[in-house]
Amino acid sequence: MASQPVYDVIVVGSGAAGGIACHVLATQGLKVLCLEAGRRIESAKDFHTHTFPYGWTYRGNGKPGQYGKLPQGMEWKIKEWTDHLYTIPDEDPYALAPGAKFTWTRMRVLGGRTNCWGRGCDRFGPLDFKAKSLQDGWGEDWPITYDDVAPYYDKVEQFIGVAGSPEGVYNTPGGKYLLPPFNPRCGEWLIKKGAEKLGIKVRPKPLAVLSKPYHGRPACHYCGGCNWGCEVAARYGSVDSVFPHLEGLPNFTLRTNAAVHTVLMDRNTGKARGVTYIDARNKQEYEAYGKAVVLAASMVESIRILFNSRNREYPNGLANSSGTLGRYLMEHVAFNDIQGFFPQLAGRPTTNDDGPGESCLYIPRYNYGHKDTKKYLRGWRFDFYTGCGMGPGPGAELPGFGSAYKKKIKELYPAAFSIGGYGEGLAFDWNYVEIDPDGLRDRLGIPQVRFHTFAEYPHAFAIRDEMYAQMEEIMRAAGAEIFPYKKVAPYPLGSVTHEAGGARMGDDPKTSVLDKWNRCHDVKNIIVADAACFVTHPEKQITHTIMALAWRACDHLAEEFRRGNV
Amino acid sequence: MSGKLIGRRHALKYFGLLSSSAAGIEFLENWLPQRPALASSMPGMQGPTNADESVPTPSPADTESPYVLRFFKPDEFRTVEILTEMIIPTDDQPGAKEAKVANYIDFVVYSAAEFEPSLQKQWIDGLHLINKLSAEKYGSAFSDLPGAQREDLLTEMSAPEHDPNAEHPGYAFYKLLKSMTLEAFFTSKVGLIDFLEYKGLTFLTSFPGCTHPEHQT
Repeated sequence: MASQPVYDVIVVGSGAAGGIACHVLATQGLKVLCLEAGRRIESAKDFHTHTFPYGWTYRGNGKPGQYGKLPQGMEWKIKEWTDHLYTIPDEDPYALAPGAKFTWTRMRVLGGRTNCWGRGCDRFGPLDFKAKSLQDGWGEDWPITYDDVAPYYDKVEQFIGVAGSPEGVYNTPGGKYLLPPFNPRCGEWLIKKGAEKLGIKVRPKPLAVLSKPYHGRPACHYCGGCNWGCEVAARYGSVDSVFPHLEGLPNFTLRTNAAVHTVLMDRNTGKARGVTYIDARNKQEYEAYGKAVVLAASMVESIRILFNSRNREYPNGLANSSGTLGRYLMEHVAFNDIQGFFPQLAGRPTTNDDGPGESCLYIPRYNYGHKDTKKYLRGWRFDFYTGCGMGPGPGAELPGFGSAYKKKIKELYPAAFSIGGYGEGLAFDWNYVEIDPDGLRDRLGIPQVRFHTFAEYPHAFAIRDEMYAQMEEIMRAAGAEIFPYKKVAPYPLGSVTHEAGGARMGDDPKTSVLDKWNRCHDVKNIIVADAACFVTHPEKQITHTIMALAWRACDHLAEEFRRGNV
Repeated sequence: MSGKLIGRRHALKYFGLLSSSAAGIEFLENWLPQRPALASSMPGMQGPTNADESVPTPSPADTESPYVLRFFKPDEFRTVEILTEMIIPTDDQPGAKEAKVANYIDFVVYSAAEFEPSLQKQWIDGLHLINKLSAEKYGSAFSDLPGAQREDLLTEMSAPEHDPNAEHPGYAFYKLLKSMTLEAFFTSKVGLIDFLEYKGLTFLTSFPGCTHPEHQT
């Protein structure tokens, strides 16, 4: 064992946070070992972006029942295009407390969920980091401000390539390094006009999709297949944008199929000295040694590793002297879209509306200073999708059959819209995750988690009702016909794949797990760099903030190394 | 030029496709990066991937000619053909018949044996029920009815779709038939490309978006 190398930093995970951590640490000369639980993939081989449904044996859907009953929010992800990338819950289950629901999307391959992510890159705003003191007194503030993070948003935008508008709106900042935004589709213009009649601002959606060639990566070719992985790396993913530049450096080592089980502690110093991991191929356990450990394995996995590292000193989970590890889990308030069509677009010839895969415009939060704080807190965003897609569109939802029905489908196909939104999710200590007390283990034999998460709380219903009403108002102002829809209960935590919290940052070690540099209060050489560190969960997408915070934490860690403090 | 830039699979996938036309060549010139970027083109990044190799393979229902029935008996299949062609008929545009929707449904229902055998039972029971309803009402099997009576029966079965207070014993099967017909039709080349005229999942050098001033002002 003595001959085993001691790395400066062991980075656990290779996705949004892990990819950035590896980039930041290795390019500053630190000796980095990255451990990824999944296998290595190649975009040219493992992504099937340009395959039509009829190119697949089951038209993309898999054999009936093949993927089991997928939880809310995963049904559209696991398809024949992607079933070799995602973990299928039935094959590697996780536990739920009675009545609890959680949608855990796992992509155990190099690059993690950056392979098939939504690509939206909103920055959090000043009010989001200080929601308690600057908005309504509820919950906790982050120990950092927008100004602390802004330079790192800049760095991430420069590194990954984001198309969008440099101008922000109130509390949704823009960015100075953005590539030109994409051209909106017909329906998006109509919604913009409608919303603006109501005084609601619509802005270009910042997307990690290249509107021109950037850093040796090609511009988007507008095929629209991004959800299945981009074969040419026109959208950011760490597989193509991070690791090719690091492998080959003498100070960087990537080890795939290495599922980290625990953090190894040094009894004498009280510091972490490495990790144990299980090789997914032979199921044997190994050790790797480092002077610091960066957990970037995804919210759930990083928390699971800390719990599974419990020891005599930390019987309730490593770095959990506060008792808050695994608690204050959050997710957007999300529910079904409203659908319908624009009469002014019905019956027109079809157009290629794929564009950059995502919508080009969206409605950022606008309800600042609202007076209904007894009913709900904070606000929401709306995203909408319009035009000709790879499905029959709204007409197919209508009753009937036969030639008239078929003609109606064709007539409404180019006029389709759907609109949906994310509301701010709140952090409660009763939304938590723990190691399953009944002893469930995953396919590698590692103790698995159990979720105690409930999305159906009063704020969520109240903000949902407000959002439904606002969406209707906006679409009517845009001249659209809205189909009848059913209001549904807020979707489970995890269903947007925006789960966050569980090892929140804070200044007080009694009420938080991490300090303002993402270091564990209890063990300063363990950093949790992923969404587990989140304190609030505004309506914005979270990946940009994950990457910016990972960059900031690792920049600081590198500085600490230079000062000899690690 | 191609192999070094973005790898052999890409070469096969894109360049063969694109360099065969003038528009394709123009596209390539505009779109190609100035230097290699992808993992698959970097030294040391090719591999071992211990994959899960995943290669798109079309369904026998789309490739086998003639298609050999796997699940339905010939008389059942005839009924499935009639029903799917009633949902999406051939008119001035191709329909379920041209898209061979019944073949695909036969293949999918057959394939349900492994994980969702209840789907097989729903189809057998549904076809049995429709013949029973047909016999009760008109004295013969559904496939023997004249078109107008088939239309009447299917319309009756679909009543709850229009009227939430209506009920019909055949409604569940009608919904299954309709949803699987729509899925089979709109995921077929005939339904998606020929009928809907979906133009995407392709290569463009630029995306103009909306080009109609009246939508924008």
